[in-house]
Amino acid sequence: MLRHLFKLIWNKKGTHSLLIIEILASFLVLFGVLSLIVFNVRNFLQPIGFEYEQVWNVDLASNQDTVEVNRKLTTVMQRIRSYKEVETATRMSSNTPFSANQIGNSVTYNKVTAGGDFYYTDQDFNKVLDLPLLKGRWYRDGDRVAKFIPIVINKKMEDKLFLDETSLNKVIKIDDKSSYKVVGVVDNFKAKGEFMSDNPALFEMIAKDDGWNSNVLIKTKRGTDANFEAKLVKDIAMMLPGWGIEVSYLKESRLNRHNLTLVPVIIFLIISGFLLTNVALGLFGVLNLNISRRKNEIGLRRAMGATEGKVTIQFLGEIWVIATFSLIIGLLFAVQFPLMNVFDLDSEIYITSIFASIAVIYIIVTLCAWLPSKQASRIHPALALHEE
Amino acid sequence: MLSNYIKIAWKVLLRHPFYTFITLFGISLTLTVLMVLTSFLDHLFGTHYPEVNRNRSLYIATVIQTDSARTSMSSGPATFAFLTKHAKSLKSADKVAIMSNFSFSNTYVNGKRIKLNTKYTDTEFWDVMGFQFLEGKPYNDNNIRNSDHVAVITDALRDQYFETGGKSVVGRNIEIENINYRVIGVVKGSPPTRVYSYSDVYFPYTAPKSNYENKGMRGRYIAIVTAKDASDMPAIQSEFDSNISRIPYAEIHTEQNLTVLEVKADEYFNHFVNTFARDSTQRFLFYTVVSFVILMFMGLPAINLVNVNVSRILERASEIGVRKAFGAPSAALLWQFIIENIFITFIGGAFALALSYLIIYLINSSGWIAYADLTINVPVFAISLGVCLVFGLLSGVLPAFRMSRLKIVDALKA
Repeated sequence: MLRHLFKLIWNKKGTHSLLIIEILASFLVLFGVLSLIVFNVRNFLQPIGFEYEQVWNVDLASNQDTVEVNRKLTTVMQRIRSYKEVETATRMSSNTPFSANQIGNSVTYNKVTAGGDFYYTDQDFNKVLDLPLLKGRWYRDGDRVAKFIPIVINKKMEDKLFLDETSLNKVIKIDDKSSYKVVGVVDNFKAKGEFMSDNPALFEMIAKDDGWNSNVLIKTKRGTDANFEAKLVKDIAMMLPGWGIEVSYLKESRLNRHNLTLVPVIIFLIISGFLLTNVALGLFGVLNLNISRRKNEIGLRRAMGATEGKVTIQFLGEIWVIATFSLIIGLLFAVQFPLMNVFDLDSEIYITSIFASIAVIYIIVTLCAWLPSKQASRIHPALALHEE
Repeated sequence: MLSNYIKIAWKVLLRHPFYTFITLFGISLTLTVLMVLTSFLDHLFGTHYPEVNRNRSLYIATVIQTDSARTSMSSGPATFAFLTKHAKSLKSADKVAIMSNFSFSNTYVNGKRIKLNTKYTDTEFWDVMGFQFLEGKPYNDNNIRNSDHVAVITDALRDQYFETGGKSVVGRNIEIENINYRVIGVVKGSPPTRVYSYSDVYFPYTAPKSNYENKGMRGRYIAIVTAKDASDMPAIQSEFDSNISRIPYAEIHTEQNLTVLEVKADEYFNHFVNTFARDSTQRFLFYTVVSFVILMFMGLPAINLVNVNVSRILERASEIGVRKAFGAPSAALLWQFIIENIFITFIGGAFALALSYLIIYLINSSGWIAYADLTINVPVFAISLGVCLVFGLLSGVLPAFRMSRLKIVDALKA
């Protein structure tokens, strides 16, 4: 039966070539869009790893002021911590959660090099963001011994850098003068929001004399409003004349980051949805015409004793064979992506989307062929043969 | 003759409403998406308010420092000093404006928080941009010389901050980060998609916190150079390139290994492409991907139309047979089908035009992009119409050609 169908289609490959190209093109479009969606959904399913609801980000820019920047920052931190509306506060490098900034770097341990995001924070960072520790503890002021800079890494970084070893209290040399010492490990930290993948991350304690990392994250008490914000900005502006002060809520920045991911996905979804509707309608029309042109053939088969079901299956089988032809050609292109690791994505993403697109194509094709073949199978043999 | 063909086409369309629907659906939706997209691209890259001189402007927006092997790189906007030295001095240019990239700030009024975008500019900024002043006037060289705390604000900020309900606010003060600025002008705002003109507040570059005194090459400023005439642009570019090439090595070689300096004065679109595709292979890749996407997007509905048309025309074999038997030449039949297809494509085009108007109207009025001014302008419409024709021919010629070569006997038998 199957061989027979293949033969039937092969003999008419000329007339079917356009159909094959059409299905092939839809497959490629679907594959592209689904890869994008699978990538984002996979990221979305991993927890973000921290709390951001009540957290504000105060971005301080020293501008032309270069005198004793660090001392001024320390005073401001003391002032901020003293407000009754503030639960905790921490200094941080410019790559605050959900910001567009990124600081990438790499570390080497035992000849294994791992790249990741570097965050420069102080001893209160994990309290502000409720970042739970898997093992060890967060760094404290006392951890800074002459040669060691205390760091905390995330699980991903630990897996990459230390392979099967435990990471706690290991020392990583940076240069001849200083080295890192791992004091704790946290789980996920997806600083750019739910749609970011869980990258390796490293938190380094801000140096005592540091004047560069001048962002402040503030965890406010519930019910704190813009009135406190205005007061805060006014107070800081008095203490730091000439500095730039910008307050943003992590909750809002997160939405901005989301839109940056979601808007292109939605545009692609709309366009490909429209393309597929177009293809489905076209397929339906073409199959309808093709089948109605083969009335006498159907009549003959029915007269010879074929059941309705058998006739339906024959037409469905034909379109499945055509779809299979196109999918085989399409697969030749699509498998290159996981094989060659295009865009450095996990090959799992590509494989999932290949299977998903194959499934969607078969579903569309079946739906489009179902109605016409059902109609065809109901043709009365006497009528069909009479027309001939 | 033509009207006759069109009459036949009309009858054929009405005979099978379902197929007519499929064809029209394909044509009109493809064209709608295309028109909305073109109009959006035109909004992004075209010459529109307030960047009315964009077609004769060159943008100097990125300073790239690399090592000779191009493995490490550092890039970003320039300092005010760098641009003053190398761009302001251009002799072949008409006007040179320097402005900062927008930065953020907040202002508070009556316990309410207003998010602000701020921008520091020189006075030429107002000549290069075609802002419409609703009240007052821009700051001038005097304000700059005296380091006056003055500001030009947009109408949206005026309504939010002052709540005067349309009364003049020129001369009143706006407090931003504890500094009072005197409002000297109110302009109609620019959409946020035009990053070099978009802001809520504009300050003279001598206002506090502008960082215009910074030394070095990398800072937060960009320059827009206009030419008297679009044809002067290559001359300006080469003058700027030679300016850059004359910068002494010691000045470039400030960081450990970044020894190569790249600064270009580009037209807006090129400048945009250059921000993410720096060398020619990347640019080639970019254009390949874009053309592939367009090909897929246009190709799928086209193949679909051809498919439907082939099947439909086969249905009309007997009609063709009769016409051929009465002596109609193949060319006449071919023309009939082409005209029929162009006819239906134009109907689809008309639907698409109406639909695009609706969508663009919705985008403009939804506030999705503030001050959005998407339009179906003449070039966009002409392109769409051209695309209409290509579609009509693409989906008409192949099946028509096949049919017109059908033998009379075969045609009549069917």
